[in-house]
Order: sequence, then structure tokens, then C-alpha cells
Amino acid sequence: MTEEIEQVAQRYARFTALGAATIAAVWHLGYDLTVTITGWSTFRWPWLSVAAWVAYSAIFVVALLSLLRTSRGPARIRELALATLAVDVAVIVSLRPEELIGISDWAWGSVGWIAIMLVWGRPRWKTELIAFLAANAGIMLVAMVVTGTFDRVSISKYLVVIAGGVTMQLGYTWGCHILRARAEDAVVLARRLAADDALRESAQRIHTDRLRRYAAIRDVAEDLLHQLADGADPGDPRVRDDCTAGALRLRRLITEREDVPDELVSTLRERIEAAERRKVMVTAPPFGDYLPGLPDGVREDLLRAPIRALDGARSRARVTVSAMSTMVSVAVVADNDDLPISATPVQEPSGVVVTYQRQGGEVWVNSIWQGP
Amino acid sequence: MGQQHLARPVTVALVEDHQVVVDGVRSWFAGSGPSPSPVELVVQGPTIESVLGADADVLLLDLNLNGTMVIDRVAELCQGGQRVIVFSEHEEPEIVRAVLDAGASAFIGKGRATRDSCVETILEVAADRPSVTPPMAQAIATDERPHRPQLSDKERAALLFWFQSMSKASVAARMGIKERTVRQYIDRARVKYAAAGRPAPTKEKLLICAIQDGLIQPDEVGVYTSLAAKSPPGQS
Repeated sequence: MTEEIEQVAQRYARFTALGAATIAAVWHLGYDLTVTITGWSTFRWPWLSVAAWVAYSAIFVVALLSLLRTSRGPARIRELALATLAVDVAVIVSLRPEELIGISDWAWGSVGWIAIMLVWGRPRWKTELIAFLAANAGIMLVAMVVTGTFDRVSISKYLVVIAGGVTMQLGYTWGCHILRARAEDAVVLARRLAADDALRESAQRIHTDRLRRYAAIRDVAEDLLHQLADGADPGDPRVRDDCTAGALRLRRLITEREDVPDELVSTLRERIEAAERRKVMVTAPPFGDYLPGLPDGVREDLLRAPIRALDGARSRARVTVSAMSTMVSVAVVADNDDLPISATPVQEPSGVVVTYQRQGGEVWVNSIWQGP
Repeated sequence: MGQQHLARPVTVALVEDHQVVVDGVRSWFAGSGPSPSPVELVVQGPTIESVLGADADVLLLDLNLNGTMVIDRVAELCQGGQRVIVFSEHEEPEIVRAVLDAGASAFIGKGRATRDSCVETILEVAADRPSVTPPMAQAIATDERPHRPQLSDKERAALLFWFQSMSKASVAARMGIKERTVRQYIDRARVKYAAAGRPAPTKEKLLICAIQDGLIQPDEVGVYTSLAAKSPPGQS
């Protein structure tokens, strides 16, 4: 899931960054270049403004390449940010003093877009962008002080451009950030919903299976009660065995607690049911909720020998599973007379070790997997 | 303490809300044959309160009373010095560990309990001897919690095999040791378990008895020394 979130985050980071680059490019070509050419006479040193325009373009290309490669701004932005501010200063210097904040003063409204590209995807983007925009506003303020441009119109222009520029540039970056965060949230939520659905479905499957088994046990219990009501002798060993077997199945059903089906446990339950249908009395303490994940082939090797012992049980069997974080042990003790056994432990290719032992008419088959 | 119980039957209080189980336990304790039963059911009731105050050596406690799990009541009973044996079908290791941590002396799984195994456990607990039933063996062997006692590989193997095999004799054959040694491994693991976690008078009695029996040396676990030095109530 983390990978998916990362992918979504990267996709959003990439396309919103390219959006910022597109705005910067359109602005730089459509406005900055136009006013530089059409306002040629408003510059004291028009070629300095052209050089600034070219420098801005070069920084733009560096930032764009970084965004295309990594969806983030360049690694070392301090020099590039200073160069961008230098572009700002160069354009101010290139203008005639009376043209300050005029239509030809293109840099101080544009450099913010370069700054957006530089800080894109950086952890402290907010602080860095605000610092840059503040420096940009400060430079213009200093220029106004130096040139004595403090008429009402100039101050109004200053405030409008600062407010407009900051709103657009900070707003765009902030909006994209929110968009990306919400997209990530949506992915997490979608995954949670899918997980909930899967859990609900598996819980439903388990519930249905329990109802089915409960119905089967109920039928058996009903039959036994009818037999007793019709005069069956409770002291008869066969009746007592049937009652015990029914009670064992009912107790196992009551103590089952897992909500998520485990393949090893499901297989064992299936074979236990099959044994019970053959009138084998099976005891099986709760298998527990926390079986570790098993490498390929281990589950099959763990189950093979114990299930063979269970399948061949004559009248009784005990099935146990013990588990730790790196160990699973499955054992069957059964009155299985025909099971061929090995006197020495059998090492399976998966690392599972199976041991056999006969004692007092019973066979004990135990397979153990020890993880790394 | 163990000797005094030999003179008279061990008295048992039973907390169980199913009459059929009460009748079953009563029939187990009724004894058969000429010799009297070593265990006597002196009081029973469907709630803990209904048997509180009864002078019984051992309290046999069903964990699920009228649909409510009473695991959290075990500690208060044990803190009062009552030996508690939990008698339940909820044999999940985490539940067994919870009641042992609370100070319960033993856990008998209803699924596999027989008269003999039940009486044997009651007698051992009444004498403050370590008693390890198969559900306890599994719970102790598979404990991975940070404050778990340090068991040796053989102690852990003996516990696991005991839980999963048919008898201690088969465990002995599997491990290539004597059955007596298997018992020793299992009992030592139980005593170590009693020494870990929060203290309870019932655990202290078990530890003191284990030291007196030479099952474990006082210096093997630090806590034992101070407990052995104490004179427990009612012990000369």
C-alpha cells in the first residue's frame, strides 16, 4: 500500500510541478519577453534586461529538468534562488528610475514562479517560498526608497503586485500541496475500504461455515436426544461416545475465535470434520489467532504427515497446533495402526522436521517448522 | 503444608454456572471403591460471591460465568491467598497466560479433563507443588512477551512435546531422557514462570515449596532467596 501511496504522491507532485513550470514559461514568454521588447525605450540599459531575461530562462531550464527527473526542485537551491533575485535586481537597475514598478518592470512579478519550481517537493517549501517572496518584496521596497518612488500610485501598484503575486504563487503551491495530501488520503481510504470489504467477506464466509457446522451438530444432537427419549441407555458406551463426540464438536465451535481464515487451520478443520464423519472422536484445543506467515511449501510439509495420521485414525485423535513468531508445530496423536512411521526424524526440503512415535496403541506425529 | 493434606481430603470450592458440570465434578470427587476420595467438594455456586468465605484448600473456577469472562477476578482471589485452579474451555494461550500471571495455580482445560488428571492437579496445587497441564505447557512454552522467564531449550521442548504428545513417557522417549527428568524440566519451567511477573501469595508458596524440594536453587533466580527466607503464614 505504501508503494501505491508513493506512486499517487509522485504523480500528483510531477503534474502539479509541471503546471507551475507551464505557468512560469507562459508568463516569461508571453509577458516578460513582450514588455522587454515593446518597452525597449523605457530601459536605461535594455541589454541588461535582455541578459536578465536569458538568465531567468536558464534558471527555469535547470529547475524544469530537475522537476522532470525527480518531481522535485534542484538539490542545491540557494545559489539558484540568489541568481533569481539577482535577475530581479538587474531588471530594476536596467530601467529608468521613473519606470520603477511600471509595466516594463517584469522581473519582480515573475521570479516567484521560478521560486515555486525551486522549492517544489522540499520539506521546508513553505518557509523557503515565503522567505523568497519576502526578499523579492524587500528588494523592490529598497529600490523604491533609493529612487524616492513614494507617490500614491506607485505605492498602490506595489501593494497590488505584492498581494496579487503572493496570492497566486503561494496559493497555487498551497493548493497543489492540499490536492496531493487529499489524493494520498483518498488512496489510504480506498485501501482501508477494500480491506474492510475483504474482512467482512471473510468474516461472512467464516460465519456461514460456522452456521453450516452448527446445523450439522444440531442434527447430531437432535438425533441423540431422540434416541435417549426413545429409551436409549445413557450407560451404553456407544451412546456415551456419541454424546462426547457431539459435545467436543460443539465446544470447538464455541471456542473458535479467528475472524480471518488461515489456510493451515482451515485445512486441519476440514480433515477434522472428515474424521468426525467417520465417527472418530477428535479433540482439538483452540488453534490460536496468531500463526506466522509461512514460506512457500512449509504449510504443505507441516500438514502432510499429521493429516495422514488423522485420516487413518480408528476411533480417536487429538490435533494440536503450537505457534510462535518463528515456529509452528502441528501434531496429531491418533489410534492409527497402519501409518508407516520413520524411526528417525524426517527432514523435508522446506525445512520442516517430522517425527513419529508409537506408544500404547497410539501414534504421535509431529511436524515442526523453525523460521530463521 | 503438603503433609497436612494427606491426613484429610483436600477441600474444593467450585464456581460453575452449569449444573451438568457441577454434577460431573461432584461425581468425579465422590470416589469409587473402598478408599475414600482424596478430594472433597465442600461448596459450589454459580458466582464467585456465592463461595467467598468458604474454607476450601482450592477454588475451582469456571472462567465464563453467565456469559461474562471473569479473568480479571482471578488476581483478587489469589492476592487473598486463595489457591485458584481455572477450569475452562477457553484454552487459548493468551487466556491461560493471563490467569497464570494473575496468580492462578493451574489451568485445567475442560476439553480434555479427566477425573484422574483433575484430581491429580488439585492435589498438587493443594500441596503447593508445581502442576503443569497441557494448556499451561503450551501457554508457557509459546510465551514471547518481553518479561517472560528465560527457559532453557530443553525446558521449552519438554513443555511443547508434553502439550502435543500423548504422555510424559513419550516425551522422554522423544528427548532420549528419563521421564523423571522430563517432569523436572516441566516443573522447573513452571516455577520460573511463577517467579516472573507480578507477585502473588500463591506464587510465593509455590516458589518456597520448589526450593524446599530442591527443584530449584535459591540463587538460580534472585527473587527466590528473599522469599525462602520468609516464614509463610501457617508454616512452622
